[in-house]
Amino acid sequence: MRSVNSHPPPFIHFDHATFGFPGVVALEDISLEIQSGEFVGVIGPNGSGKTTLCRAVLGLMAPLKGHLRIFDCDCDELRCHHRAKIGYLPQKGVVDRNFPVTVLETVTMGRYGALGLFKRPGRKDREIAMESLAHVGMDMHKDTALGLLSGGQQQRVLIARALAQQPDVLLLDEPTTGLDITTQHNVVELVQHLHEELGLTVLLITHDINMIRSRVDRLVLLKTRLYAAGPPAEVLKPDILSQVYGKDLVITDKDVVIVEDYHHHH
Amino acid sequence: MLELFFYDFMQRSLLAAALVGALCSTIGVFVVLRGLAFMGAGTAHAAFAGVALGYLIGWPPLLLALLFGLATVWVTGWVEEKGRMKLDVSIGILYTATMALAILFIGLMKTYNAEVYGYLFGNVLAVTNEELLTIAGLSIVVIGAIVLFSKELYFIAFDQEMAEASGVPARRIFFLLLTLVALTVVISLKTVGGILVFAMILIPASTAYQLTHSLSTLTWYSIIIGVSCSVGGVLISSYWDIPSGPAIVLLATLLFFIAVLLSPKRQRQSLALN
Repeated sequence: MRSVNSHPPPFIHFDHATFGFPGVVALEDISLEIQSGEFVGVIGPNGSGKTTLCRAVLGLMAPLKGHLRIFDCDCDELRCHHRAKIGYLPQKGVVDRNFPVTVLETVTMGRYGALGLFKRPGRKDREIAMESLAHVGMDMHKDTALGLLSGGQQQRVLIARALAQQPDVLLLDEPTTGLDITTQHNVVELVQHLHEELGLTVLLITHDINMIRSRVDRLVLLKTRLYAAGPPAEVLKPDILSQVYGKDLVITDKDVVIVEDYHHHH
Repeated sequence: MLELFFYDFMQRSLLAAALVGALCSTIGVFVVLRGLAFMGAGTAHAAFAGVALGYLIGWPPLLLALLFGLATVWVTGWVEEKGRMKLDVSIGILYTATMALAILFIGLMKTYNAEVYGYLFGNVLAVTNEELLTIAGLSIVVIGAIVLFSKELYFIAFDQEMAEASGVPARRIFFLLLTLVALTVVISLKTVGGILVFAMILIPASTAYQLTHSLSTLTWYSIIIGVSCSVGGVLISSYWDIPSGPAIVLLATLLFFIAVLLSPKRQRQSLALN
């Protein structure tokens, strides 16, 4: 496990932050620091505010109360070039499978934010895009249509698009949803590999605790409020989990935590 | 039919058709990919209401068409962004409301005005030198803006939220796209008409969509199809003496169905599923 240096300011700092729309609170009174180089898993049941947390970190949503600082910059004044420092993989199903775009065209889009307006992607940007594709093992498919790839391959390409931003933070919203078990493991393994190889700070949002519990440095347990944040062994305790999951929680004698969420899979 | 090319009016209308064809098919790529097809139709009808009001109160019809068109795209864009109601509902309401306004304005005119109907159905063969210059100037502005912001426009068409999260000023680019759609509609009103301009925006890009998996190829195919259909339609219309608007649109529609039947995309997709 990597040691976390607590001296430099945290990458992401929630300070008693509340998010939502007037009358609807999605996340309440969140205080959380995420340090450079951490691998953090965010878990919680459906509707617990996981995606809201994601939008907040992307600077797409300002807190109604409290503060959120990202890269030492108040989130309301988060500039485009700051956003480019966060590589984002949205939930599956957001991207249209039939959209006419090749793998390399998709990944090159990761360069657009950093390039800024009026500049065209050049040789260097194509090199970065190809490098990102190599990191996810998809470089041989560069001219294939995105829509013709399997679900797992598409996720790899979209992760490569995020990497092409040369981000400091990788933010993944339910990266394994809709994939078969083997592919789910492969995708999470890839994320862990990128975290170790490139020293990326990773924020992975998932409903699948078992998939990530042995890989992350810290788990954050959400259900509108922040219930627990810490090393997996401290968070995954029956008394803490049952507060959040209630009856959906099943614990076997081997201490494996299973959260029943049939309704999550269509 | 070669002698047709020697007539002044024919040269003018071929040039106007080629320009409008190129313009509509270029903006059409982004309209189709961003899922704004219905908004294009709504804008065309709103612009026609502007023309009718222009003739009624004696203002320049194209200026009012532009104002009506811009108001429509900006309101619907704002509604989509706020998520207040479904986009098809808000456009459906504006679409019918502006059409009702157009009928009202025409009804309020004391005399029958054939020119107004010219804007509804378009007549590329009647384009004047001045109009041709206006079309050319505005086409350069719109296509220039598309070229300048093409990478951002592609990105918001692919996924607007992802674009915004990656540091692209996605909202401003979205409203730029809406503005360009309104401008395109107004530029094309006189040549293809308020009803058919929408087809010129939609069909070439949709035809190209059937034929390729690459964004850049899609754009070039769309422009080639748009220009050929416009020019081909004008030639057919003058050769057989049929209205130009329908000739252009029906030619484009024919190509679309051929592309659907021959789509390599469809064949490859069924292979991929097996």
